[in-house]
Amino acid sequence: MSYPLDRIRNFAIIAHIDHGKSTLADRMLQRTGLVEPRTFRDQYLDRMDLERERGITIKAQAVRMPFTGADGQDYLLNLIDTPGHVDFAYEVSRAMNACEGAILLVDAAQGMQAQTIANLYVAIEAGLEVIPVLNKIDLPAARPDEIAAEIASLLGGDPDDILAVSAKTGEGVEAVLERIVERVPAPATRDDGYTRALIFDSIYDSYRGVITYVRVVDGELRPRQEIRLAATGFHNEIDELAVLSPEPRPVDRLGPGEVGFFTAAIKEVDQARVGDTVTGHADPAPDPLPGYREPTPMVFSGLYPVDSEDFPDLRDALDRLRLNDASFTFEPESSAALGFGFRCGFLGLLHMEIISERLDREYDIPLVTTAPNVGYEVDLEERTRRPGEDATIRVSNPADLPDPSRIAEIREPVVDAMIITPSAYVGTVMQLCEQRRGSLDSMDYITEERVELRYALPLAEIVFDFFDRLKSGTRGYASLDYEPSGLTVADLVRVDILLNGEPVDAFSAIVHREKAYEYGKAMVARLKELIPRQMFDVPVQAAIGAKIIARETIKARRKDVLAKCYGGDVTRKRKLLEKQKEGKRKMKAVGAVEIPQEAFVAALSVGQD
Amino acid sequence: MPAAPSPRQRAAEAPGPPVGSRAAEAPDPHAARGAGEAPAPGVYVHVPFCAHRCGYCNFAVDVGADAGLRRRYTDGVLAHLAAVAEAGPRALAPQTHHGGEAPGPGWPVLGSVFVGGGTPTLLDPGDLARLLTGLVEALPLAADAEVTVEANPETVDEASLATLAAAGCTRVSIGAQAFEPATLAFLDRRHDPEAPARAAADARRAGLASVSLDLIYGVPGQTPEQWEAGLDAALEAGVDHLSCYALTLERNTPYARAVALDGVPAPDDDVAAARMAAAGQRLRRAGLRRYEVSNWARPGHESAHNRMYWRGGDYLALGAAAHGHWQGRRWWNLRPTQRYLARVEAGQAPTGGQEILDEATRRAERLLLGLRTAEGVARAEVTPIDEEAAAALVAGGLLADDGAVLRVTEAGWALADGLAVRLLP
Repeated sequence: MSYPLDRIRNFAIIAHIDHGKSTLADRMLQRTGLVEPRTFRDQYLDRMDLERERGITIKAQAVRMPFTGADGQDYLLNLIDTPGHVDFAYEVSRAMNACEGAILLVDAAQGMQAQTIANLYVAIEAGLEVIPVLNKIDLPAARPDEIAAEIASLLGGDPDDILAVSAKTGEGVEAVLERIVERVPAPATRDDGYTRALIFDSIYDSYRGVITYVRVVDGELRPRQEIRLAATGFHNEIDELAVLSPEPRPVDRLGPGEVGFFTAAIKEVDQARVGDTVTGHADPAPDPLPGYREPTPMVFSGLYPVDSEDFPDLRDALDRLRLNDASFTFEPESSAALGFGFRCGFLGLLHMEIISERLDREYDIPLVTTAPNVGYEVDLEERTRRPGEDATIRVSNPADLPDPSRIAEIREPVVDAMIITPSAYVGTVMQLCEQRRGSLDSMDYITEERVELRYALPLAEIVFDFFDRLKSGTRGYASLDYEPSGLTVADLVRVDILLNGEPVDAFSAIVHREKAYEYGKAMVARLKELIPRQMFDVPVQAAIGAKIIARETIKARRKDVLAKCYGGDVTRKRKLLEKQKEGKRKMKAVGAVEIPQEAFVAALSVGQD
Repeated sequence: MPAAPSPRQRAAEAPGPPVGSRAAEAPDPHAARGAGEAPAPGVYVHVPFCAHRCGYCNFAVDVGADAGLRRRYTDGVLAHLAAVAEAGPRALAPQTHHGGEAPGPGWPVLGSVFVGGGTPTLLDPGDLARLLTGLVEALPLAADAEVTVEANPETVDEASLATLAAAGCTRVSIGAQAFEPATLAFLDRRHDPEAPARAAADARRAGLASVSLDLIYGVPGQTPEQWEAGLDAALEAGVDHLSCYALTLERNTPYARAVALDGVPAPDDDVAAARMAAAGQRLRRAGLRRYEVSNWARPGHESAHNRMYWRGGDYLALGAAAHGHWQGRRWWNLRPTQRYLARVEAGQAPTGGQEILDEATRRAERLLLGLRTAEGVARAEVTPIDEEAAAALVAGGLLADDGAVLRVTEAGWALADGLAVRLLP
């Protein structure tokens, strides 16, 4: 059934993790009669187990819900689900661009969080009609009046006008649907004869290839139609055209304003990128939809198989993950300490965590993950440039940073960070940000109790454990959002860690000069704890270039011999030593120093201070 | 058979050296040998009885056996001995698939007997003497074979030791462990601090050729001064041989439980290393030579049986839970005393398990055992080793390598197992 434009409403839900987005979506599905209670799974829209477990949505999807309004008319409501995390800000903005309206869903007990506000700004920027809704009004801790006032002070409007629901019980959901019909504008179209459809998600399916989710803006899509993707130039014939309602249902046309998905024998998601425009192959639109951006990794980490024999399997697994996630990158690298592995680039920390967890869970490959770092730009001293070497190089692995004598300037990525905190913790938050080389841009009281702080912070300072510290310093109340704001010059040095005089590349880190001593001292102290005593004294040193800045010594083991063999029981003794030998085989040997795998992992994963 | 020949005569009349003619090449089992030469075989006899279990001990021990069981056990071991002697050495070696019909070779001359425990001297002296006499009658012992009996100081006197000497015992190893009440109490030892010296003097008067004391170091609470005083006390007791063992936390012992649950201190490796080093210095000054990680002796008083173990020699196993080795086959007898007895009384082999060592395993054993000794181990017997590790250990001053023999250095004694693990290929 095809709907005229004025009966279509496309909307997203903006909400912080755990504020009830998926539950509200579930209730809408039930209310519109799309899902029988019998087949209902909680959080219907979250497909992957991982999402289900973490309670967060990683991949946006869309569902089509027929709804008869109070005016007696039949409407088509398209709910476009958006990812909830800061790492996926770009995907959020694309999903928003596929909508005309957004529900701002706020937990009536917790209030607005930084990510919610950040996403709200994205929605406002995209020109969306925002419908604020308070959720969890049935909770004893709910403060609906207070939170409504908070929302009104941000959005303007009357606090009394804000809808209140309990997504859990279903109370108030009907009113939300009515308000969508009433307030969200119908889609508009240019009707200039070209086809333009916005890709807001693409996922890999091992049977059908890439499934591309689109919102048609202009023209139409039909099965067997020759289409072309504007940014990647990929072109092919549409095989399958369908909508989710919420199970896939084939359709023979998607017109302006409509939302659905198609397959076209696309082999990897990199060919059908989020934000790209689908147009006709024969008559491509001269002006694709605006806003497309190449995905750029912000955080890097080395991924090494614990067992070097797993290297080909790891490559295979990364290849397959990449089919489904165009936003992460990887290239082979080798480390003297860790062997062969990959330097991987991620959108952010959560993204990195998700990828390594998926590797572990879906491919069962035990990994050593090096401490995350950001990408740097380095201008080389003109006189030290080698033939063919660029004046500016990019460094995504600290071990690749040139010798200090060759560096004219290093630039590091900085972000605009927004932190929302209860006013009682402002001091704590400011102290943390200053420790992390932040500079305060603005401080605004949203209400008397809640403050929005804006800081310029080096990304490197927040990739490690900033979020954990922010949370623990504010009893979990503060929230964080950030967006990249370019590169800035910084006085950075590489701190190397030497064991027995030999540098261990996996432990090298780029840090600010003023923090180098502190970092080096903490790292050698930690390694002294983690590395078992060896047959000889092992000096552990931190160095900048040739200059040693910190030193500890792992004292040699003094006794390693069993007293006797009771009654000639050589078998038992031999087996004990064979077991030790087996254990030694599992260690990484760095020079003459044997390091158990666990010590490596622990040294790389512990916080910096 | 005419009147029973004396044990020494039997040895002289024993059939010629059968395999490898090791006895012919080395007729004197006590002769100092270079690393690599096979020592004369021995016999280990286990006597599992103890008056009580010491907290640190996880060995096969039977507490509270009455006199009847102890006598029955003596008879059982003698029956086992008779069966082993009758079957001959071929029955002990790894089974081969050829020559099954050929008559087996006879026994080679044996160089040592060691009666260990438990507390062998909990047996009635008459029973213990019967055991020793039985051994020298059933098997061809060398004329100067070393026959050791382990003794707890409170269980012997001059008379009982004289009985053992008359039955062929040449050496007694006295479990002193310590000389001060607090350390003895920590170890659950129940003898008074003067008992070991008394027992050593009794052994001298009884005519035993060698007297050894066992000491334990690294006991929590024992001061360095107490340890050195204990070494002095042992030397004053006039012994020829000292075994100094590091207290070891063994699983499933009352001590291990006390460490885990009651906060009793565990032995500390650094403390143990310091005590071991102190023993090395003190005993060297007193004229004793360290010939193995835990063993020191006046020249000529090294334990032949001990050296046979560390050289990978062959030995029979008699008694419950005893371990044996014969030409690459290791086996162990059933552990609970009653199960062992039930088998031997029924005329069945009491073997609890065995393993056949392949060449690589035999090399590994030679390495880990040989590195415990002052002689070291011949490279030829343990090749291939991790040469890179060897070079690093030599450079670090822990290992001596003259191209033919690998030995621990003075600094390497306390790390011998660690060295072996690193040298294994």
